[in-house]
Amino acid sequence: MSVAATASTATSLPPVTANPGSLRTAWRVFWRGGLMSYGMLFNWARPSIYIPTLIGGPTFQLLFFAALGSYAAGRSPAYFALGNAVQVSALSGIFGMTMAIANERFFSTLPAILATPANRVALFTGRFLPFIANGLFVSLYAITFGVVFLGVRFEAATLGVAGLALLVTVFSCTAIGALQGAISLRLRDGLFGANLLMLSFLLFSGVNIPVNTLPGWMQVISNLLPFTHGLEAVRQAAAGAGLDRVGGLIVTEGGIGIAYAIGAFALFSYLERSARANATLDVR
Amino acid sequence: MSIARSFRLIWFVTWFNVRMLLVSEFFVLLTFISPLIFATLAFFLFRLGHGTGGQTLLYAALGSGMMGVWSTTLFGCGGAIAWQRWEGTLELLVNAPTRYDFILAGQTFGAVIFGFAGILMTIAWGMLLFGMPLTATFPLLVPLSLLAAVVSLGALGMLIATSFVLYRHANALSNMLEYPIWLVAGLLVPLATLPAWVQPISWVLAPTWGMDAIRGATLQSQPPWFAIGMCFALAVVYYFLARLALVYVLHLARRDATLDLR
Repeated sequence: MSVAATASTATSLPPVTANPGSLRTAWRVFWRGGLMSYGMLFNWARPSIYIPTLIGGPTFQLLFFAALGSYAAGRSPAYFALGNAVQVSALSGIFGMTMAIANERFFSTLPAILATPANRVALFTGRFLPFIANGLFVSLYAITFGVVFLGVRFEAATLGVAGLALLVTVFSCTAIGALQGAISLRLRDGLFGANLLMLSFLLFSGVNIPVNTLPGWMQVISNLLPFTHGLEAVRQAAAGAGLDRVGGLIVTEGGIGIAYAIGAFALFSYLERSARANATLDVR
Repeated sequence: MSIARSFRLIWFVTWFNVRMLLVSEFFVLLTFISPLIFATLAFFLFRLGHGTGGQTLLYAALGSGMMGVWSTTLFGCGGAIAWQRWEGTLELLVNAPTRYDFILAGQTFGAVIFGFAGILMTIAWGMLLFGMPLTATFPLLVPLSLLAAVVSLGALGMLIATSFVLYRHANALSNMLEYPIWLVAGLLVPLATLPAWVQPISWVLAPTWGMDAIRGATLQSQPPWFAIGMCFALAVVYYFLARLALVYVLHLARRDATLDLR
């Protein structure tokens, strides 16, 4: 009975007329697909997990590093609060993007996605937007907390520049998250790399320790990671530096982000071809 | 069940859990890699402040190691019962003729002992990379301090395991509770520098006294008898609270037939 009903419904569906190569279809895949991937693949997108992890966690992270930094290094708590307030956007950028890509395999939807003729660039880049928006939200919440409780201050005249630097930094972080997500398609536990990246930002990217005080080999790593240039731009803009002074830093941060995004897409495409060739698309 | 058989059971489950955690990438990161990164961060920060806080590298190494112990306890114990549910072993374990609280104790002690390996890593890291001297003012008290810390954290782990199971997303709670306990237990920042209202909270936390006991035996001029005593006293309190919570949780699960529901 139910089988017949299903067959009847299936035959009554309208024929698919969308041209997979058209710009309109690509836009739909980009926009709708991106939103759906956020809602369905991001495990933390429900209040009972979102609030403790993306609101509670960052709040305590700010308090911890503000206390540790001001005690150990003798600097203002605001320095550490601002650094960590920008860095917590990685919770969305890194973990979110990793889940949005790697969970396709975990939930066994990857073969179905890759069997469609959907535009791969639209499919891949569509996943960025919700996580950039989410990362910005988490960061803005943490910055507000820093302003109210930990003495973080912004020059009103350069607030827009600080906002631009923050946006580019969050994009850059989301891009390395996409690379981590693509790598996770091959790993047993993709969140290992995501956790490692989060910890690396705390140490290498000038979040808590000024990059110029790190040993030379660590500065090389710092310059290759997201946050290093963007966070410096946010700090300088907060202190009143205009676009003429921090524009270079923002461009560098954006360039790093684009490089990671291209790398992520290239790896995703390679893994897709490789998985098709070796019939390992849904192997976990 | 004889005392010897009970200890044998706890020891077996402890060792079994340590071996399981050893093959988990997440717990290896949490126990061995994360404390090294935090220790490095702390070393640089203390160096940046030119030792104005008057603390030594060993202070930072022990604090960072204990941070790893807390993380392992939190994640290893917070999800202990939930994992058994997921794996489908909870019903079997609860209905086995052995006492379930002993099995849970073994599981939580496994996580805590595994976590303590991280302290050895941070000390070795500090000695190799930062030339940290390894000294102890009361070397004979170091093993006792470590034992007191393990026992109190293990008992706290049981309490965490039995209370977190009431919240459906235990890992989300664990994500939130890492930093506040690092701060409130004074692992890297002395409690004296925090607001006065924080101190009573720190008194009921095992990591506070565990850290005090270990630091007392290695860095302080007075033997840490009080901290060691507090560790054992808190362990007894935690165990009884965990027993109460466990009886309540298992009663609810049996009554509502939700023992194996995920």
